[in-house]
Amino acid sequence: MNQLGLALFVVAVGLLWSRNMRYSVGFLTLEGVLLAFMVWAEVPWTAAVVLVGMATLAVKAVVIPGALLRLLRTWPADVRRDQPLPLWAYGAAVVVVLAVGHVIHLLASTGIVRNTILFFYALGAVHLGLVMIVARRHLLSQLAALVGIENGLVVLAVSVAGSLPTFVELGMLVDLGIAVALMVWASHRIHQVFQTTDVVALRRLRG
Amino acid sequence: MSDAGILLGPLGITAVALLARRRLTPGWGVWIAVWVGLDTAVTLALTLPAIGRGEWGAIFLAVTNLVALTSVGDSVLWLREHTRVAPHRYYFWWSLFWAALLGIALSKNLALSWLAVEFSTLASAALIIEMGGPHALEAGWKYIVIASVGLILALTGIVFIYATLRYQGLSWATLDFSNLHAQYPQIAPVVQQLGAILLVSGFGTKAGLVPFHTWLPDAHSEAPSPVSGLLSGVLLGLSLFTVARAVGTVPTGLPVYFSVDHLLTLFGAISVVVGALALLVQQDIKRLLAYSSIEQVGMMAVALGLGSRAAVGAALMQFVLHAVIKSSLFYGAGHLSVRYGTKGLSDITSLWARHRLGALLWTLGILALAGVPPLGLAYSEWLILDQLWLHHAYLVVAVVSVSLTISFAALAHHLIHNLWGAPHESAEGQAPSDKLDVQEVI
Repeated sequence: MNQLGLALFVVAVGLLWSRNMRYSVGFLTLEGVLLAFMVWAEVPWTAAVVLVGMATLAVKAVVIPGALLRLLRTWPADVRRDQPLPLWAYGAAVVVVLAVGHVIHLLASTGIVRNTILFFYALGAVHLGLVMIVARRHLLSQLAALVGIENGLVVLAVSVAGSLPTFVELGMLVDLGIAVALMVWASHRIHQVFQTTDVVALRRLRG
Repeated sequence: MSDAGILLGPLGITAVALLARRRLTPGWGVWIAVWVGLDTAVTLALTLPAIGRGEWGAIFLAVTNLVALTSVGDSVLWLREHTRVAPHRYYFWWSLFWAALLGIALSKNLALSWLAVEFSTLASAALIIEMGGPHALEAGWKYIVIASVGLILALTGIVFIYATLRYQGLSWATLDFSNLHAQYPQIAPVVQQLGAILLVSGFGTKAGLVPFHTWLPDAHSEAPSPVSGLLSGVLLGLSLFTVARAVGTVPTGLPVYFSVDHLLTLFGAISVVVGALALLVQQDIKRLLAYSSIEQVGMMAVALGLGSRAAVGAALMQFVLHAVIKSSLFYGAGHLSVRYGTKGLSDITSLWARHRLGALLWTLGILALAGVPPLGLAYSEWLILDQLWLHHAYLVVAVVSVSLTISFAALAHHLIHNLWGAPHESAEGQAPSDKLDVQEVI
């Protein structure tokens, strides 16, 4: 389980670092596969475990990457790459990952964390996703960051609770699938209207 | 009536929108409104005893259905004014949004509430994106991203709470509100505080509490007006009450500094201040109402933070009155902006001379929002201030009182300008009715 967690953390680093949207989609696919294996690593196998694993694989490793690739194919090559990651983001990424150690220290006395190593990888991945959503400027980078955060959260749940109730896991998958479909549709429309995929263009409203 | 039976109302419309597709013309809107009316009447009749007993779920259900009914009624007019929006797509997302709101109202479980709140984000964001303009696309994108991040924080809090109580072996029933109420004081203070911060900031993002509110004015101003009514009147309050239903009014049992109550009071008071000050500088009629929602939700949060029975009752009263008043004002603002061809407050002038009845209704709504007695919000706001005073929260009383005065002054200023103000220089010589004609020709 810890090896799968480490692999997910490394993929999350790759997702943050990658500028090429096709690579980002590849990283998301890999995360989907890792999560499915993580579900199936649970013993004993029950119908719920098999179902959640299959659904995870279908949504996170097939449907979401497929939708993103389909959208990317319709865009010219020059909008398939993100801007370089700003320098501060590297520093922020290191700080937030190190901050996980402090969270573990805080929670140590409560006995809530079942697997400290997995918790570190999971919360680290969540934090990297948060850095990515702030630092990255491409529409699909923000989308990938949201999926990455959600993936990290699933592993976090495993590290503290073993697993989540089946209906919550399936509900999250359905929710994520719809969210991605909606964001893909919105990205397509934004590219049509603004002629760019850079979120910096979205500054007409003042918040 | 079972929960599934209640959801038949919205899901029936979803099925019609899917089956009829392009054959669903704006004319069908009247029949859809009749369907929603029937559903509301039946639900209301069946839940009346529970409403009488003051059960939160029944009250939320009644408010959601009533505002949905006015929203679907206004949608008939709105779709005639906005012919670019396809009715079948509009009703498809609108019905899912209504279903999600009913899901939040009916839920007795924190995880289920979370799913329904997240689903409401997606359905309402789709309605904003359907508008298609650059502003709407921008607002829709920001709404999804910011609200999703907020809700991920809330989910993290839920995971921590679930993990702490997992020893009970109740599976998803661990997160039932009744179980949380019984078990929450036993949770370690660190986890309580972490859970409180994550839940309040997460659901607070959806409720529009400052500083998590940045998506709200954009989304509410760019959404179709009937949807803005539901968003502002119902969704904000339901999201806030979700925290209160789960853990907000539970005694923490141990000395906890960052409790849900403390955080709700803190963020609530900040929201009242920011919402009131923002009203002074608004140039857009729907943004004005959106910032007013931030202020009103802030009042609810302050009351819920007090946690006493009377304070929570006042918050509930504030929620019900705000839902009715704000949704009506959003519908009105939508029609005014079509009539004047702009959402700019500086151009929406001379309403009294041009549309006497409309001016009267608009005045009534704005005065009710400003908390002028004997109109509704005056009572709930007074009750909240009274409770703050009784709890010796004098600083909060002072901050809230000053903010409410500012808010009254700002709303009165905008109202006077709407009723009797001279047209803005750029709009002079161009009568509102002319603008409408040009828009129709285009």
